[in-house]
Amino acid sequence: MKVELLYYPDCPSHERALELVREALALEDIDAPVNVIRVETDEEAERYRFIGSPTIRFNGIEVDPAPHLPYRLTCRTFRREDGRLSPVPSLQMLRETIALARKEEEHHGS
Amino acid sequence: MALEIGKPIVDFSLPGVDGKTLSPADFAEKPVLVVAFWCNHCPYVRAYEERTIALAKEFADKVAFVAINANDAVKYPEDSFPNMQARAKEMGYPFPYLHDESQEIARAYGATRTPEFFVFDSQRILRYHGRLDDNWENPSAVQQRYLRDAISALLNNQLPPVADTEPVGCTVKWK
Repeated sequence: MKVELLYYPDCPSHERALELVREALALEDIDAPVNVIRVETDEEAERYRFIGSPTIRFNGIEVDPAPHLPYRLTCRTFRREDGRLSPVPSLQMLRETIALARKEEEHHGS
Repeated sequence: MALEIGKPIVDFSLPGVDGKTLSPADFAEKPVLVVAFWCNHCPYVRAYEERTIALAKEFADKVAFVAINANDAVKYPEDSFPNMQARAKEMGYPFPYLHDESQEIARAYGATRTPEFFVFDSQRILRYHGRLDDNWENPSAVQQRYLRDAISALLNNQLPPVADTEPVGCTVKWK
Protein backbone atom coordinates (compact mmCIF):
# COMPACT_ATOMS: atom_id res chain seq x y z
CA MET A 1 0.00 0.00 0.00
CA LYS A 2 1.23 3.49 -0.85
CA VAL A 3 1.12 5.63 2.29
CA GLU A 4 1.78 9.37 2.26
CA LEU A 5 1.90 11.87 5.11
CA LEU A 6 2.31 15.46 3.96
CA TYR A 7 3.08 18.11 6.54
CA TYR A 8 3.81 21.78 7.02
CA PRO A 9 6.66 22.11 9.54
CA ASP A 10 5.19 25.12 11.37
CA CYS A 11 2.24 22.98 12.39
CA PRO A 12 3.21 20.79 15.35
CA SER A 13 0.78 17.93 14.74
CA HIS A 14 2.77 15.87 12.23
CA GLU A 15 4.83 13.85 14.69
CA ARG A 16 1.71 12.67 16.50
CA ALA A 17 0.03 12.07 13.14
CA LEU A 18 2.92 9.87 12.02
CA GLU A 19 2.67 7.83 15.23
CA LEU A 20 -1.05 7.36 14.61
CA VAL A 21 -0.53 6.33 10.98
CA ARG A 22 2.03 3.72 12.01
CA GLU A 23 -0.28 2.48 14.76
CA ALA A 24 -3.21 2.20 12.34
CA LEU A 25 -1.08 0.31 9.78
CA ALA A 26 0.07 -2.11 12.48
CA LEU A 27 -3.51 -2.68 13.64
CA GLU A 28 -4.51 -3.42 10.05
CA ASP A 29 -1.51 -5.74 9.71
CA ILE A 30 -0.01 -3.74 6.87
CA ASP A 31 3.74 -3.51 6.49
CA ALA A 32 4.25 -0.44 4.35
CA PRO A 33 6.66 2.48 4.58
CA VAL A 34 5.24 5.93 5.18
CA ASN A 35 6.40 8.48 2.63
CA VAL A 36 6.74 11.67 4.69
CA ILE A 37 6.64 14.78 2.50
CA ARG A 38 7.46 18.27 3.73
CA VAL A 39 5.37 21.06 2.19
CA GLU A 40 6.85 24.52 2.64
CA THR A 41 5.63 26.81 -0.12
CA ASP A 42 2.29 27.80 -1.62
CA GLU A 43 3.47 26.28 -4.91
CA GLU A 44 4.14 22.96 -3.22
CA ALA A 45 0.74 23.13 -1.51
CA GLU A 46 -0.87 23.51 -4.95
CA ARG A 47 1.20 20.76 -6.48
CA TYR A 48 0.43 18.27 -3.72
CA ARG A 49 -3.26 19.35 -3.37
CA PHE A 50 -2.44 20.12 0.23
CA ILE A 51 -5.24 21.74 2.24
CA GLY A 52 -3.44 21.57 5.54
CA SER A 53 -1.13 19.67 7.83
CA PRO A 54 -1.25 16.74 8.19
CA THR A 55 -2.66 15.42 4.92
CA ILE A 56 -2.68 11.62 4.93
CA ARG A 57 -3.36 9.38 1.93
CA PHE A 58 -3.56 5.62 1.55
CA ASN A 59 -3.24 4.63 -2.13
CA GLY A 60 -4.17 8.22 -2.89
CA ILE A 61 -7.36 8.11 -0.80
CA GLU A 62 -7.31 11.01 1.63
CA VAL A 63 -8.31 10.78 5.27
CA ASP A 64 -11.27 13.12 5.87
CA PRO A 65 -11.22 14.72 2.40
CA ALA A 66 -12.35 18.33 2.16
CA PRO A 67 -12.31 19.27 -1.55
CA HIS A 68 -14.01 22.60 -0.87
CA LEU A 69 -10.96 23.95 0.99
CA PRO A 70 -8.16 25.87 -0.76
CA TYR A 71 -4.60 24.58 -0.98
CA ARG A 72 -2.54 26.40 1.64
CA LEU A 73 0.02 26.22 4.42
CA THR A 74 -1.86 25.75 7.66
CA CYS A 75 -2.90 23.20 10.25
CA ARG A 76 -5.79 20.97 9.34
CA THR A 77 -8.88 20.30 11.43
CA PHE A 78 -10.37 16.82 11.71
CA ARG A 79 -13.82 16.14 13.14
CA ARG A 80 -13.58 12.97 15.14
CA GLU A 81 -16.40 10.50 15.56
CA ASP A 82 -17.10 11.82 19.06
CA GLY A 83 -17.67 15.29 17.55
CA ARG A 84 -14.45 16.79 18.87
CA LEU A 85 -12.35 18.90 16.51
CA SER A 86 -8.73 17.88 16.50
CA PRO A 87 -5.44 18.66 14.74
CA VAL A 88 -5.01 14.92 14.04
CA PRO A 89 -7.42 12.22 12.85
CA SER A 90 -8.52 9.44 15.17
CA LEU A 91 -7.24 5.90 14.81
CA GLN A 92 -10.72 4.91 13.67
CA MET A 93 -10.67 7.48 10.85
CA LEU A 94 -7.30 6.18 9.70
CA ARG A 95 -8.40 2.55 9.85
CA GLU A 96 -11.58 3.29 7.91
CA THR A 97 -9.56 4.97 5.13
CA ILE A 98 -7.12 2.06 5.07
CA ALA A 99 -10.07 -0.33 4.71
CA LEU A 100 -11.40 1.75 1.82
CA ALA A 101 -7.99 1.74 0.11
CA ARG A 102 -7.76 -2.01 0.61
CA LYS A 103 -11.18 -2.54 -0.92
CA GLU A 104 -10.19 -0.47 -3.97
CA GLU A 105 -6.97 -2.45 -4.23
CA GLU A 106 -8.89 -5.74 -4.18
CA HIS A 107 -11.42 -4.43 -6.68
CA HIS A 108 -8.73 -3.41 -9.14
CA GLY A 109 -6.78 -6.62 -8.54
CA SER A 110 -9.72 -8.93 -9.21
CA MET B 1 10.21 37.02 21.18
CA ALA B 2 7.21 37.03 23.50
CA LEU B 3 6.69 39.71 26.13
CA GLU B 4 8.87 38.80 29.09
CA ILE B 5 7.54 37.63 32.43
CA GLY B 6 7.59 40.59 34.83
CA LYS B 7 6.97 43.18 32.11
CA PRO B 8 3.91 45.48 32.13
CA ILE B 9 0.96 44.91 29.85
CA VAL B 10 1.07 46.28 26.31
CA ASP B 11 -1.88 48.58 25.87
CA PHE B 12 -4.35 48.05 23.05
CA SER B 13 -7.59 49.44 21.75
CA LEU B 14 -9.29 46.98 19.45
CA PRO B 15 -12.77 46.49 18.02
CA GLY B 16 -14.75 43.54 19.29
CA VAL B 17 -17.30 41.36 17.57
CA ASP B 18 -20.08 43.06 19.57
CA GLY B 19 -19.17 46.47 18.12
CA LYS B 20 -17.42 47.75 21.25
CA THR B 21 -13.81 48.90 21.19
CA LEU B 22 -12.00 47.65 24.27
CA SER B 23 -8.70 48.23 26.03
CA PRO B 24 -7.13 46.77 29.20
CA ALA B 25 -8.51 49.72 31.20
CA ASP B 26 -12.00 48.38 30.59
CA PHE B 27 -11.18 45.42 32.83
CA ALA B 28 -9.54 47.40 35.63
CA GLU B 29 -11.90 46.04 38.30
CA LYS B 30 -10.74 42.44 37.70
CA PRO B 31 -7.63 41.35 39.60
CA VAL B 32 -6.47 39.09 36.76
CA LEU B 33 -6.53 39.67 33.02
CA VAL B 34 -5.95 36.88 30.50
CA VAL B 35 -5.10 37.94 26.95
CA ALA B 36 -5.40 35.04 24.52
CA PHE B 37 -4.21 35.18 20.92
CA TRP B 38 -6.93 33.33 19.11
CA CYS B 39 -8.44 32.64 15.72
CA ASN B 40 -11.22 30.77 13.96
CA HIS B 41 -9.44 28.38 11.63
CA CYS B 42 -6.82 26.70 13.80
CA PRO B 43 -7.61 23.17 15.06
CA TYR B 44 -5.62 23.79 18.23
CA VAL B 45 -7.89 26.73 19.06
CA ARG B 46 -10.85 24.48 18.33
CA ALA B 47 -9.38 21.78 20.55
CA TYR B 48 -8.96 24.26 23.39
CA GLU B 49 -12.11 26.28 22.76
CA GLU B 50 -14.43 24.53 25.21
CA ARG B 51 -11.73 24.33 27.87
CA THR B 52 -11.08 28.07 27.57
CA ILE B 53 -14.79 28.91 27.68
CA ALA B 54 -15.22 26.73 30.77
CA LEU B 55 -12.29 28.42 32.51
CA ALA B 56 -13.56 31.90 31.64
CA LYS B 57 -17.00 31.05 33.04
CA GLU B 58 -15.58 29.47 36.18
CA PHE B 59 -13.48 32.53 37.03
CA ALA B 60 -15.85 35.14 35.62
CA ASP B 61 -16.16 37.01 38.93
CA LYS B 62 -12.49 37.81 39.26
CA VAL B 63 -10.77 37.18 35.94
CA ALA B 64 -11.27 38.92 32.62
CA PHE B 65 -10.53 36.94 29.48
CA VAL B 66 -9.94 38.70 26.16
CA ALA B 67 -9.37 36.88 22.87
CA ILE B 68 -7.53 38.62 20.03
CA ASN B 69 -7.42 37.47 16.42
CA ALA B 70 -4.59 38.95 14.34
CA ASN B 71 -4.58 36.50 11.45
CA ASP B 72 -4.42 37.63 7.84
CA ALA B 73 -8.03 37.25 6.74
CA VAL B 74 -7.17 37.55 3.06
CA LYS B 75 -5.32 34.24 2.98
CA TYR B 76 -7.40 32.76 5.80
CA PRO B 77 -10.95 33.98 5.19
CA GLU B 78 -12.33 31.95 8.11
CA ASP B 79 -10.60 34.58 10.25
CA SER B 80 -12.45 37.56 8.80
CA PHE B 81 -14.32 39.87 11.16
CA PRO B 82 -17.77 38.59 10.07
CA ASN B 83 -16.61 35.02 10.64
CA MET B 84 -15.25 36.01 14.06
CA GLN B 85 -18.69 37.40 14.88
CA ALA B 86 -20.32 34.18 13.72
CA ARG B 87 -17.95 31.97 15.72
CA ALA B 88 -18.37 33.98 18.92
CA LYS B 89 -22.14 33.74 18.56
CA GLU B 90 -22.16 30.06 17.67
CA MET B 91 -20.00 29.10 20.64
CA GLY B 92 -21.41 31.68 23.03
CA TYR B 93 -18.03 33.13 23.90
CA PRO B 94 -18.25 34.53 27.43
CA PHE B 95 -15.32 36.87 26.65
CA PRO B 96 -14.75 39.71 24.17
CA TYR B 97 -13.32 38.62 20.82
CA LEU B 98 -11.22 41.44 19.37
CA HIS B 99 -9.80 42.03 15.91
CA ASP B 100 -6.17 43.09 15.51
CA GLU B 101 -6.37 43.77 11.81
CA SER B 102 -3.06 45.65 11.61
CA GLN B 103 -1.35 42.83 13.57
CA GLU B 104 0.47 45.52 15.60
CA ILE B 105 -0.75 44.17 18.95
CA ALA B 106 0.21 40.58 18.17
CA ARG B 107 3.68 41.84 17.17
CA ALA B 108 3.96 43.98 20.30
CA TYR B 109 3.16 40.96 22.49
CA GLY B 110 5.51 38.78 20.46
CA ALA B 111 2.71 36.29 19.95
CA THR B 112 3.61 33.49 17.56
CA ARG B 113 0.84 30.92 17.96
CA THR B 114 -2.88 30.49 18.40
CA PRO B 115 -3.87 29.80 21.08
CA GLU B 116 -1.26 31.63 23.18
CA PHE B 117 -2.08 32.96 26.64
CA PHE B 118 -0.68 35.97 28.53
CA VAL B 119 -1.82 36.33 32.16
CA PHE B 120 -1.49 39.66 33.99
CA ASP B 121 -1.84 40.32 37.71
CA SER B 122 -3.74 43.18 39.40
CA GLN B 123 -0.89 45.58 38.58
CA ARG B 124 -1.06 44.29 35.00
CA ILE B 125 2.37 42.73 35.18
CA LEU B 126 2.84 39.59 33.06
CA ARG B 127 2.97 36.56 35.35
CA TYR B 128 2.26 33.65 33.01
CA HIS B 129 2.75 33.05 29.30
CA GLY B 130 2.17 29.97 27.17
CA ARG B 131 -0.27 27.12 26.75
CA LEU B 132 -3.45 26.22 28.59
CA ASP B 133 -2.43 22.73 29.64
CA ASP B 134 -0.21 19.83 28.65
CA ASN B 135 -2.55 17.82 26.44
CA TRP B 136 -4.23 19.34 23.38
CA GLU B 137 -5.34 15.96 22.18
CA ASN B 138 -7.20 14.55 25.14
CA PRO B 139 -8.78 16.74 27.83
CA SER B 140 -9.24 13.78 30.15
CA ALA B 141 -5.51 12.98 30.04
CA VAL B 142 -4.36 16.43 31.12
CA GLN B 143 -1.85 16.39 33.97
CA GLN B 144 -0.60 19.98 34.09
CA ARG B 145 -3.19 22.76 34.11
CA TYR B 146 -0.80 25.66 33.60
CA LEU B 147 -3.34 28.40 32.94
CA ARG B 148 -5.69 27.40 35.74
CA ASP B 149 -2.78 27.09 38.19
CA ALA B 150 -1.48 30.52 37.20
CA ILE B 151 -4.88 32.14 37.69
CA SER B 152 -5.45 30.40 41.02
CA ALA B 153 -2.02 31.42 42.28
CA LEU B 154 -2.54 35.07 41.33
CA LEU B 155 -5.98 35.14 42.99
CA ASN B 156 -4.23 33.90 46.14
CA ASN B 157 -1.59 36.64 45.87
CA GLN B 158 1.07 34.15 44.88
CA LEU B 159 3.19 33.76 41.79
CA PRO B 160 2.27 30.99 39.33
CA PRO B 161 4.15 27.73 39.98
CA VAL B 162 5.13 27.69 36.28
CA ALA B 163 5.57 31.08 34.65
CA ASP B 164 6.40 30.23 31.06
CA THR B 165 5.56 27.33 28.76
CA GLU B 166 5.95 26.82 25.03
CA PRO B 167 2.65 27.68 23.34
CA VAL B 168 1.31 24.91 21.13
CA GLY B 169 -0.84 25.73 18.13
CA CYS B 170 -0.91 27.20 14.65
CA THR B 171 1.42 30.02 13.75
CA VAL B 172 -0.03 33.52 13.66
CA LYS B 173 -0.76 34.16 9.98
CA TRP B 174 1.19 37.32 9.18
CA LYS B 175 0.39 39.46 6.17
